[in-house]
Order: sequence, then structure tokens, then C-alpha cells
Amino acid sequence: MGPYLGFINRNTVLHRLDPVLKLVALCAVAVGVLIYSSWSVNALVLIVLIVMFRVAKTRIGLASKRVKFLLFFSIFLVLLQVLVTPNGTVLFYVLPGPALPVTTFGLERGLFLALRFLLIVFSSILFVSVTDPSLLAQGLTRLGVPYRYSFMLVVALRFLPLFESENQSVRLAQKSRGIEPDVRSLSGILRTVRYTFFPLLVSALSRVDSLAMSMDGRGFGFAKKRTFVRRSTWSTADTLFSALVFGYLIMCVLLASGFIGLY
Amino acid sequence: MSTSRLLEARNLTFSYGNKQDVLKSVNLTVSPGELVLLTGPTGCGKSTLAKCLTGFIPHYYQGALGGQVLIDGEDIAGMSLSHIARKVALVQQDPESQVCTLNVSDEVAFGPENYQVESTEIVERIHDKLAWVGGSHLSQRPTHAMSGGEKQRVVIAAMLACEPDYLILDEPSSSLDPPGIVLLRNILTSLKQEGLGILCIEHNIGAVRTVADRTLAMADGTLHDGPGRDSAIHSDSTVMRSLGPHPEPLLVASHLTFSYGHAAAVKDVSISAAGGEVIGIMGSNGSGKTTLLALLAGLLKPDSGQVVLGGQPLRDIKRNEALKRVAVVFQNPNHQIFERTVWRDQMLAASVAKLPVDVASEVSGRLLERAGLAQYRESNPFSLSHGQKRRLNLTSTALLSPQVYLLDEPFIGQDPDGREFVSRLVNETADRSGTCIVVTHSPEFVRRHCTRLVFMSEGAIVLDGPVQSVMKRMNEIGLGEYTVTEVD
Repeated sequence: MGPYLGFINRNTVLHRLDPVLKLVALCAVAVGVLIYSSWSVNALVLIVLIVMFRVAKTRIGLASKRVKFLLFFSIFLVLLQVLVTPNGTVLFYVLPGPALPVTTFGLERGLFLALRFLLIVFSSILFVSVTDPSLLAQGLTRLGVPYRYSFMLVVALRFLPLFESENQSVRLAQKSRGIEPDVRSLSGILRTVRYTFFPLLVSALSRVDSLAMSMDGRGFGFAKKRTFVRRSTWSTADTLFSALVFGYLIMCVLLASGFIGLY
Repeated sequence: MSTSRLLEARNLTFSYGNKQDVLKSVNLTVSPGELVLLTGPTGCGKSTLAKCLTGFIPHYYQGALGGQVLIDGEDIAGMSLSHIARKVALVQQDPESQVCTLNVSDEVAFGPENYQVESTEIVERIHDKLAWVGGSHLSQRPTHAMSGGEKQRVVIAAMLACEPDYLILDEPSSSLDPPGIVLLRNILTSLKQEGLGILCIEHNIGAVRTVADRTLAMADGTLHDGPGRDSAIHSDSTVMRSLGPHPEPLLVASHLTFSYGHAAAVKDVSISAAGGEVIGIMGSNGSGKTTLLALLAGLLKPDSGQVVLGGQPLRDIKRNEALKRVAVVFQNPNHQIFERTVWRDQMLAASVAKLPVDVASEVSGRLLERAGLAQYRESNPFSLSHGQKRRLNLTSTALLSPQVYLLDEPFIGQDPDGREFVSRLVNETADRSGTCIVVTHSPEFVRRHCTRLVFMSEGAIVLDGPVQSVMKRMNEIGLGEYTVTEVD
């Protein structure tokens, strides 16, 4: 397992930002990279993102398996694009012949796709690690989402670590009974899935009643509104950050529609 | 209509659907400041009664309900669930599934937040209620990083934060280790002093009897006066196992170390078990007992050290070969059942180990018979009771008659018949020169069936030797709560 993926409470500017604003910013990054495609803008945003990781005192975890996989995957994306894109100025050929040209356009396209991928993934990782789900639920409720729904997020996140540990126990139990994961045939795969899925499902279902009784037994749904002891407060940092997010979005729209040009 | 403060059940009857009555005319009162202990065998209707008293029957579960439940003289029939819950709170059995938020103070705040209590008042309640359960130090902890006992205390505090007048606890001792049970007793005593009326449902009478004002026993859906506070717990005469002079070591583990990420779970543990030995392992929850079993079974690979089985390193033995020689049964039975019928689950080992079907069927039939599961052959194993599932976990490994049994808390959730079945299996294994290593909180089992007792603390073995001398030593060094017969 890599480092714990989820909210880690630290007292930094990014942690203190309004959770709903952070959600909006996350969406803005995704929209921005999707509507305007340029490797240079993407690279700039990625640098900003890396700085934000530093500010949030959150480790990217370059050594972890998860991040290594992401990096390898993006390098693969670059290589794939470079090899399959023939148009553009030819830089050199991979094979003598000449075959498989490496072109400027292919390189740009590869870089832009890989950066887009990294941006979306890393911004999500950052969002998850600096956003307190309970505060996000409170924020969404403030915006008019009924708390029955916004609270689902909190409950789901609460049970994630539990399912992870149950998954481990099921694997140990499988091993103890001599059940090896079998991926050689379709029936083997189906059996492996069933042997893993059934025990986990039964275990999860057995908790549902208990959880529902525990929540209803504490007045969940008692009234339309509820008190939130912990709430986020809007600060100057929030105003500045929203200006930044808004500015970025406008820039992307203008670039995409051709009102302004980069070069 | 009386207006006295009292939680009362009058002629309460209930049956699920058109099946047999679970409750037959139950009459019960709980006064403020009183702790009533309710005992009875598994499946006698204790939990059903708890659900009736808290309104979850009929609000959650359908069935035929008769009689009345009155809170301070008011019939709950006309009340909504949230109104009942403000008066009578239920702490269910499994603390894990009753925690719904990500940190402790959020969890305690959850109830009063729903009831729209003022923020400042809630902050006070978080502080007070956590203090009542001895959990003030937990307030900033993430909920997923707590032990079972800590979770349970938080669940109790979270219920108390709604400021109910009555508290019902369903089997609160079942997931606790002996120090946890002592703590639970203290908590219950202080809640009583705060004026709460408490109904404590316990399979394991010893756990809270000393602090109970009254004990009631439930059988066949009705209540009777139970044994008094001072009556002695019956105990069979001690049957000490003895060993031959120089038993052969069957399983030898040397210098085992294992950690989950950065957290060391087992530290430099060496232990050997000979044929005919039954070894009890005791220790607090989280002391590494379960991880040790998984290492001894070869299910986890030690970071260092090795396990030798019958002279051969375990890591050199093929999995489906090792399976025939070492069986391990963990705590949660749901995780270890893989097939759709009891019979298929029982026979799973036969196909893995390539046993001839006719032999396997014959042995399996006998095993299920003995475990009291024969009539459930074609049932879905997940529909069995907790105790029955755990017995199925045992019979399905017993098919291969392994030399080594590693059992993790096999007595939890077992009624006397189930306990008898487990004990017999352990003894038979020892009689045919096998060995059993049993993780347990039950000093009675250790005294009656074990040849050796090992005590673990923080991943290491701190005591290892003959049962009586280890227990004597435990009493001397302040671990006396483990050696007192209070856990089933």
C-alpha cells in the first residue's frame, strides 16, 4: 500500500480554503484542460499545482507505486503519440528505412495528452488530501443540497478504509483454504471474482442495517435542517483564490475561442 | 396513566412474519439510575426485545407486534423513531458499523447536530460525553484509526450526546479484551450515577454482573429472574492435559518479525509447538496475536525469521500441501465462506486438496452432523447464525484432518454446544499428536484444555510456560483481569 490516500488534516492556506471553492477549482482545472489544448499552458498549470502541493505540505509520493504507475503511464502516452503521429515537421526517424518519423506535432500532442492526464489526476489527489469531507458536506448543504445526500459522501469515505482491510482479510482467508486467484480462464476469473466479491458483499450488507439504525437512532433526518458545529468561513484567501480560478477559466475560454493567441 | 419515570414493556409479544413467536408476553421495567442485566442463550430474543424497546420494531422490521412499550408512561406506538431515539438509545453489537463520520468529535456531534442543538451546547456535550466514557484523549482522532474498544466508547458517547434517559447495550463486551471489559464496567457504573437507566444485554454474564442491580434471564421468549450478583459462576472441574516427556516439535517459528507498512505488528517472536500440545495465546487486542497466526500458517510472509513445519521450512511447502497440515480459522466467519451451500463450502477443501469425493463426502457428513449443521446442508451458509458459521469454518478445515490448528477466538458467539464442539475438536487434535494454538480471552478454556500459555504484548511474547505458572506470574505483574473467569 502507498501512503494513505485521503484527507490529512494540516493547518495550511490550502486546507483552510473553502471546500466548495476547492471543488469548483478542481472542476475548473478539468474544464480548462479539456477546452483548450496546449502543452505549454498545461505545463504551466502543472507547475502551479506542484507548488500548491508544497504549500499544502502534502507529499506527491514519487516513490509510491501508485505515482510511479501514473508517471510511467504518461510517458507511455507520450511515446505512443510520438510513434503514431506522422504529420508535422520531421525531427528524425526511429528506424532506418526511413520509417516511424518523430515529428514536432507528434511530440507536442504526446506532451499535451500526458500533461492533461497528469493534471487531472494530481489535482484530484491534491483536492482529496486538502479537503475535509465533513466540511465539504456542510458547504454543499449550505448551497442547498439536502444533507441526506451531501452526507453520503462522508459515509462512503468513512467505510473505504474498512473495505480495504476486509479485502485483505478475505485474501488471507482464501489463501488459508487453498483458493488461489486464477486468471487463466474465463471460468477461473469468474470464480475468483465470486470468491472475493461474495464475502465482501455479505459483510457489507450485514453492516447496512446496523449503520442505518445507528444513524436514525441519532435523529438523522429529524428535520430538514441540521446544525453544523464545524463550518468553514470565507476569508480573503478564498476571494483571491476564486479570482485566480476565475481568471484561469476566462483565459482558457478566450484561448480556445481564438480571441487571444499564445504565439 | 402513570407519569413516573420508567422504561416499561407490558405483555410484549412479537413474531417475524408468520413464524413462531420470538417474544411471548415480556414484562420489563428499567428505572433511571438502574442497571438491569439481561442474559440468555443466542437466538432467545434478546436483541429483538432491544429493537422493540427502541422502536426499530415496528419502524424497521415487519412482524406481528403486541403489547406496549411505555417511556415515562407514554406509549411509543404513536411516536416517530427520532422522538423515541431521544429518550432511549441503542448501542448495537458491532461498533465498527455504527460509526458514520471521519473523526471522533464529528461522530459525537452527529446526533445533536441532527436535533438542531446549538453549536456551543454541542461543543460542551462532546467534551462531557467523551469524558464520561474515558475518551477525552480521542476527540481529535480519525475514526478509522481506532481499536474496537475505542470505537465502542465513541459509539456510547455519540449515543449519550443525544441525552437519552435510557441506554440499551447489546452484547457490549463481545469485542473487548479483559482490560476493555474492566473499563466498560467502570463506564456503566458512572453512567448509572449520572442517572441513566441501563439495560445491558449480555451473553457473557460475568462481564458486567458485578455492577448490575438486577439480572434477568430470557428463555423461550419470556423473562425470568436471573442468578443474583453474588452467586458463583459454575465451573467444571479442571481437566489438565499432560504431555509425554519429550514431545517432538511440530511447528517451530524462530525470530518472526512482520510489519504493516511502518507499524510493526510482530517483533522477533519465537515459539515452538509439539505434538499433543494445546497452546493458549492471550494478550490485549492489537497485540499481534492474529498476525502471528497468519505468519504461522504461512499466509503472510515474515519480514525476517522463518517457520518450520515438521522439519521443513514452510515457505518451501506448496500451498495446497501446507493446507493439509496447517488449518487456520480467523475471527470473522463471513470472510471465510465462499460457496453457495453449506455442503459445497464444506467440500471445497476436497477439491483443492484433490481428495477422492466418496471419502470426503463421508467424512464431511460426519463432521457436519457433529457440528449440528447436518440439517442445513443445502442452506445458504450466509443465512446461518454467527456461531453456526464459525463451526462451518472449522468443519471445512477439519476435513483434511490437519496436524496443526490455529484458531482465533473460536468461542466468540458460540453457545454451550458450540463451545463443546470446539473444545472436542481441539482435544481430539491433541490426542492424535497434533497441536492447537488458540488465541482466546477465556481463562477457563486455557485452564481446562491448554498445556501451555503464551502472553503477548505489543507484538512480542512476554510470557510463555505452563498454564498455572504463567497465570500466577500474570497476577503478580498486574494482568490479573486476564486470568479471572469473566469471559465466555
